Amino acid sequence: MPDSTHALRALDVSKTFGGVRAIKGVSLDIAWGERISVIGTNGAGKSTLFNAIAGVFPVTSGTIELFGEDATRLPTAARAKRGLARTFQTSRLFEGLTSAENVYVALGGTEFSGHLLRSSRRTPERWLRVEELLDRVGLSGRGPMIVADLSHGEQRQLELAMALALQPKLLMLDEPAAGFSPAERQHLSALLRDLPRDITLLLIEHDMDIALAVADRVVVMHDGEKILEGSPADIRASERVREIYLGGSIDDAA
Amino acid sequence: MSTLPNKGEPITTTPSSPASKRRPILWVRNRWVLVGLVVAFAVLFPWLVDRPRFWIPNIGIRTLWLGTIAMSLVFLNKYVGLLSLAQVTFAGIAAYGVGYFSVTLGLPYLLSIPIGILIGTLAGFLVALIAVRTKAIYFLMITLAIGQVFFSYASQAIEVTGARRGLSPILREDYGFVDFRTLEVFYYAALLAVVLLYLLCHYLANTSFGFALQGIRDSPDRMAALGYRVNRYRVAAVTFAAFVASVGGMILVFDRSQVDPDVVSLGSTLDVLIAAVVGGVGSLGGVFLGAVVLALLDNFAQDFTERYQTLTGVIFIVVLLFAPAGLAGVGGQVTRAIRKRRDRAAPPPPEHQEPQAPVPAESAIQKGNQQ
Ligand SMILES: Nc1ncnc2c1ncn2[C@@H]1O[C@H](COP(=O)(O)OP(=O)(O)OP(=O)(O)O)[C@@H](O)[C@H]1O
Ligand SMILES: [Mg+2]
Repeated sequence: MPDSTHALRALDVSKTFGGVRAIKGVSLDIAWGERISVIGTNGAGKSTLFNAIAGVFPVTSGTIELFGEDATRLPTAARAKRGLARTFQTSRLFEGLTSAENVYVALGGTEFSGHLLRSSRRTPERWLRVEELLDRVGLSGRGPMIVADLSHGEQRQLELAMALALQPKLLMLDEPAAGFSPAERQHLSALLRDLPRDITLLLIEHDMDIALAVADRVVVMHDGEKILEGSPADIRASERVREIYLGGSIDDAA
Repeated sequence: MSTLPNKGEPITTTPSSPASKRRPILWVRNRWVLVGLVVAFAVLFPWLVDRPRFWIPNIGIRTLWLGTIAMSLVFLNKYVGLLSLAQVTFAGIAAYGVGYFSVTLGLPYLLSIPIGILIGTLAGFLVALIAVRTKAIYFLMITLAIGQVFFSYASQAIEVTGARRGLSPILREDYGFVDFRTLEVFYYAALLAVVLLYLLCHYLANTSFGFALQGIRDSPDRMAALGYRVNRYRVAAVTFAAFVASVGGMILVFDRSQVDPDVVSLGSTLDVLIAAVVGGVGSLGGVFLGAVVLALLDNFAQDFTERYQTLTGVIFIVVLLFAPAGLAGVGGQVTRAIRKRRDRAAPPPPEHQEPQAPVPAESAIQKGNQQ
């Protein structure tokens, strides 16, 4: 039964690509406003879990409830319209457009989805929102630059601005700090902690400092399974997590 | 050259047009100045040539319809990232629509023209429904295949298309207030339609819809994640491009006074593709340059070589090699070359506007909180 006390419920979700079982029976209950970090070694299935929740592909088995509604078969766009925003592990920006135009487009899927045929020059409210969002992620003044001229860190920030443009109820960020400088990491960490509490946050992050600082609860994935779930303090103290991370790095080297 | 905004400049509250992103030094600064010059030339053209009877139809009007069909291809390629080889087919279907409703059924042209455009556009819509689910090379192949299917249909369906003989005569008429039988009137009417279509394409590219198309071109996954129903936009764009091509088909059919399978042959498809590539697949207006080149070759190459198709091919290759952005891209190419040489001669002073570190966390957060 769908249940409206949870922003997201994944029940026994599996996804198989050809022979690869990328996630195996993962369940996840996330209450409204909760902040969850998902950690795990490379190839653990974190991004696949995100893609399943976002509806990028149909799941092999299991169900996904979003905002108290069965969303297992909803297309990606419909999930976005219901309040799910996500970023991508590798930036997927509109390379041919400026930063401002990127956010402008991001606003058009939901908040400003009307007036399709009105000239962009005649939408000052929307450009003001663009500016607000760029300011918020630390891209003030970068609006007129085309995306290709932005630094890697700036591109990641733009990703975030575009996700925030949806005014999401559930925000899913896939390694938002990848490739960030220490200063950028701090900025991001502060920005995430400072998000309004009504945004439910699901964060994949390899940077433990950020992952543990932001989260109310941490989910550890390994080899397609959820192996552990607990408070940041539990995770920090966990022998198991330490083992996996060491083991994981050995596997990676092989 | 730094693309960073100056401190004093207001941050974009209006979109920066592509032209303002990278300013050309040498070429005309403003697109509209260039457009104005080209249109002015097109308006004066009938008076500038020695034999208007020859030049107006063979070069002028031919350029207009070939360019329009090619423009529809470029619109899809530039803003949606789809390469459609069925544009000439949509134009042809519109042309057959006029032929069928006027020649076969005897309807007046004033009715059959809008019907023809409607049918061509509808054909685009139907093709889009099938084809937009595929991407890149598959889209190209599907549109090519659809074009070939229609070609063989047109060559055989004698009661509808007149098979190989086609449908004729499709003659321009005198409507009292305008006499379309006059070449000049026809030419100017076609020119007006083309200019309006160009403006429409350009306007559309700068609407929410146009921005969304460009987003889909660059990252369909992202667009879906933003709540856009990507395929609907693609269908709308292909349908619109079919409409543009259909209007081109109207100019074509009254230029040729008939419609036959040649109009929708593979050769015609290639002509459109060549006009687009030679003019520049990144430039809506540039295609008309490509179309002029093709029209000139068609008419004059035979005078000095028997292998005029070889010559067309050679010119095509030369353009691809030396001006990959087409003739319309030459201005930008020259600009970049000059800039490079200038930069090499005198290295630019160190930039004083280094990309700044991200705004200190506090200030950004405060801004975030204010919302
Ligand atoms: N589209 C796909 N097709 C085939 N296999 C895939 C696909 N996406 C993921 N996989 C496989 O599924 C497994 C899990 O990948 P996933 O990207 O979810 O891991 P991850 O935890 O996000 O890792 P990372 O930390 O490296 O991002 C991997 O073995 C991967 O190769
Ligand atoms: Mg991943």
